[in-house]
Amino acid sequence: MPDLADLTLVEAVQAARDGTSSRALLAACWHRMEAVNPTLNATIWVDRVRAEAAAVAADAARDTPASLGGLFGLPLAHKDMYYQAGKPCTCGSRLRKDFVPDYTATVIERLSSAGAYVFAGLNMAEFAQNPTGHNREFGDCHNPWNPDYISGGSSSGSGAAVAARFVYGALGSDTGGSIRLPASACGVTGLKPTQTRVSRYGAMPLSFTLDNVGPLTRTARDCARMMSMIAGRDPKDPTSSHLPVPDYEGALDGDIRGTRIGVPTNYFFDGADPRVRAAIDQAMEVLTARGAAVRPITLPLMDAVSGYGGIISRVEAATIHAEWMRHRPQDYAAHLSGRMYPGYAIPGPYYLESLSRRGPVLRDFAAQVFAEVDVLATPTIRTALPTLAETDIDNGPAGTEVKFLAVSANTRPFNYLGLPAISIPCGFDGNGLPVGLQLAGRPFAETRLMRLADAYQRDTDWHARKPPVLDMARDLGGIIVA
Amino acid sequence: MDPFLAQLELTIARWHGVTAPNEPARRMAADLANTIAAFEKLRGTLKFEDEPSSFDAVLHDLREVE
Repeated sequence: MPDLADLTLVEAVQAARDGTSSRALLAACWHRMEAVNPTLNATIWVDRVRAEAAAVAADAARDTPASLGGLFGLPLAHKDMYYQAGKPCTCGSRLRKDFVPDYTATVIERLSSAGAYVFAGLNMAEFAQNPTGHNREFGDCHNPWNPDYISGGSSSGSGAAVAARFVYGALGSDTGGSIRLPASACGVTGLKPTQTRVSRYGAMPLSFTLDNVGPLTRTARDCARMMSMIAGRDPKDPTSSHLPVPDYEGALDGDIRGTRIGVPTNYFFDGADPRVRAAIDQAMEVLTARGAAVRPITLPLMDAVSGYGGIISRVEAATIHAEWMRHRPQDYAAHLSGRMYPGYAIPGPYYLESLSRRGPVLRDFAAQVFAEVDVLATPTIRTALPTLAETDIDNGPAGTEVKFLAVSANTRPFNYLGLPAISIPCGFDGNGLPVGLQLAGRPFAETRLMRLADAYQRDTDWHARKPPVLDMARDLGGIIVA
Repeated sequence: MDPFLAQLELTIARWHGVTAPNEPARRMAADLANTIAAFEKLRGTLKFEDEPSSFDAVLHDLREVE
């Protein structure tokens, strides 16, 4: 009989509907967490008392309409930046270490309405502002495949916890890659939706223009289930789209025949690690065998995309943090206050140009790219995954920032363009760390991306492989059999 | 101190009341020279827009239709 913690999200919901108690699911996740978390440091806070109460309530509702919820009885944990009334929300920072919001994020309410409850707040980069998972205040998050390596960030705990199978799915946020990077580094599935697809009400802001909310899960099907619950118009977030939410999960039929996939000849493979390149090439062979048509494509406007996106994120972060930067700059990690500081010197016309060009750049980019292909395929991280030491920007030698910033080079462009992009595991680099395949599509192409990812996962088992940290859990007796 | 960086620090302090918190801040502020260079390369690509542009409208116009 399988350990309940090893079930996928969709399997766990089905188990709960079929009679497995929510308390048993929670106990399995908790036991696994206790076994692996001393190695990973993937949580900031835990709340067993309220989670137990929620599990008891779910078990009492088994024979009621509530059991039809898409996440019925499911214990979840999220990046610690989603406001929940009466619960801590540190945002990974010293400055918000004691912050307890008095309202709840829309995405948390929607997951709750579907039957899920929260048992922990997951580690994250301070204020969601680094791509590696370093955190001075709460400790660095470690990679489940090798704790010396970065977990990716900024949704570091979300990636590590899902990979280590102590949570079935987790919310992350993505302003420059913060869902896709930990998904890639930890070997899980992570989706940055189209800008405006998911409400951001009650999510800590980093950049009002570029922030996105999305799921990290083990499989594309799990991702589709979570997206079905969180996507859609929210009157509390006036920027959210009115477009109806498709049946994401129902569209996962494995049929990708005729899908046109473009592999960029410029930018995304510059300086790429050969093993990473080979993993992407092999992934293209898998998708070709399923009926996709793969071809090279040269992407336009990449200088504009990179330049404008960087301006917006720096200016908006600097603006949001201005009061603390004036009065409590010492309470930030040095790399964080250091990166925000130049934002105050960027002229208004640069910022406005970057904003006003976003629509025209997207229109021109799409006209040239999506006339030729439906989807772009790139590495999520183009280099071999670096270690925590190699990217310790606060304590490393000069030049450390080059490796630090290289981590997110392939993810940032899709934030400025506002396009959806998913990362799925597709192999391992020379050090045995996961490699992520990034698939990006036209606006609101989440269905196509998840269908492609699901089709790929039908023919491969990268997403099902277990990281070595689970062997440690087994050695420690951390496996529960239902 | 590099005159460019000194001018930046003065400007930021005057306009925002923020002082350089550490050495990385100065290093990254000095790197704004590269940002300016990147924008210089983009000059001439910005066409006069007669109508206000809406990124959201472009997103919806270009959306995938199943």
